[in-house]
Amino acid sequence: MSDPRLGTRVFTREEIQRRVEEVAREIDRDYKGERPVIIVILRGAVYFAVDLTRALTIPFDLDFMALSPFRLGLRRAEIEKDVDVDLKGRHVLILEDIVDTGLTLNFLVRNLERRLPQSVRVCSFLNCPVRRIAEVEVHYFCFEIPDIYVVGYGLDFRGDFRNLQEVYALYDPSGRSTQVLKQMGKGR
Amino acid sequence: MGNFSVITVSREVESLGDEVALRLSRILGYELINREQWMVLLEGHSPALSPEPPEEEGERERWMAEVGKLLEELAEKRAFVLLGRGGQKLLARCAKAFHLLVVAPVPVRLRRIMERYRQDEVTASRILAEQDRQREKFLLRFFGVDWRNPLHYHFVLNTAFYDVEESCQLVLEAMKRTRPPVSGQQESFFTREGFLEKPVVFSHPSEEEFARILDFYGIRWLYEPRTFPLEWDSEGNVVEAFAPDFYLPDFDLFIELTTQKQKLTWRKNRKIRKLKELYPEVKIKVVYARDYEHILRKFDLEDDHE
Repeated sequence: MSDPRLGTRVFTREEIQRRVEEVAREIDRDYKGERPVIIVILRGAVYFAVDLTRALTIPFDLDFMALSPFRLGLRRAEIEKDVDVDLKGRHVLILEDIVDTGLTLNFLVRNLERRLPQSVRVCSFLNCPVRRIAEVEVHYFCFEIPDIYVVGYGLDFRGDFRNLQEVYALYDPSGRSTQVLKQMGKGR
Repeated sequence: MGNFSVITVSREVESLGDEVALRLSRILGYELINREQWMVLLEGHSPALSPEPPEEEGERERWMAEVGKLLEELAEKRAFVLLGRGGQKLLARCAKAFHLLVVAPVPVRLRRIMERYRQDEVTASRILAEQDRQREKFLLRFFGVDWRNPLHYHFVLNTAFYDVEESCQLVLEAMKRTRPPVSGQQESFFTREGFLEKPVVFSHPSEEEFARILDFYGIRWLYEPRTFPLEWDSEGNVVEAFAPDFYLPDFDLFIELTTQKQKLTWRKNRKIRKLKELYPEVKIKVVYARDYEHILRKFDLEDDHE
């Protein structure tokens, strides 16, 4: 990629595929004999959801949710797209692209728990616990990342880069992201 | 009636709230301010004042302040029953106002709609859902109130069990028995999402913005609620202390927000290290400028800060 806004490549296509397969096996094992409702949080998690659900062998129901984005002037988050299935008594698995502050996910989990499901679990492509503010448990994740801004594989910057098949750090002129990634053994 | 010269009535659609408000106004001889009287009242006060809160936030804040003041002044001169209009929010701080919420279960309200408007169940349920949604949206959008939260009211009445007359008697009894609030106490009883409604003066715009983000996601917070002494002189006087910006009670977590460049935060970092040593049970998270930029970028707010 030659876009000047992109920095170091963080995860290759192969690394992503391998981890998605591994997480799918964990979910297969944990939900054996069950039929969970998989809720994909629009829009970032769509790419991850497609790959992950294709790798699952258990039966499941697929549905989607979208939350209103934070806007000054709108006082409370609203569910813009809700699930169609009744969640009462069901096992719910939320698919996210990234869990960082946990604010969105905490809101969603509280909302879903009010519908009396048997369980609510979270599966995220990326987990960034150092940025966490609201407590949420991420039961499955493909990669844990440090405090850097990443794009690709569904994650965007101002609407761009979602369709990248690999994950990149956003270019950081301070050089801090590159330094952090070097410590992870990523980049030159 | 007792200490209250004003009753605000919030009501679910077809909960008999309108009938209860009208009957209470007649029993007590209080003026009833419904939608029509509301428009007359506001127009009489200032023709430029719109009957509904404006969309734009700054204008809305000014509208709330002006209308709140108007109602509080009115409460000093006249006794009235205010039907809807966000009265529980506009008069949340008024010690003369008794806040009543009238509710009823959905099947009861549905039956009332079917009988009143001679509609089938499907049409009635659509009307009910639409009107409930509109009311909820109006109060949440303009007043930031989850209006069904019982903590916004002195008294919540379920009219599935009582007719209008019985309901009014219960309300009158409740008004009689409600102890007058200690001066300044009432506002803390009727809370934002059941928690805090004190006007907060933030020391930095980023804190206000952060609070809005927390509000948006329904995360309850307190602003600088606790100061931790860090150092004492030989006579035991506190010579150094630290008050983290936010406390999130749901996570038992203090948050310190700093928008300084990280290399300039050494003084604050030293205080936080000290705090952790002296109060190891306290959970605190520092949101540095970089973390905050991430948050703003995530919420598409960064352009305002560049």
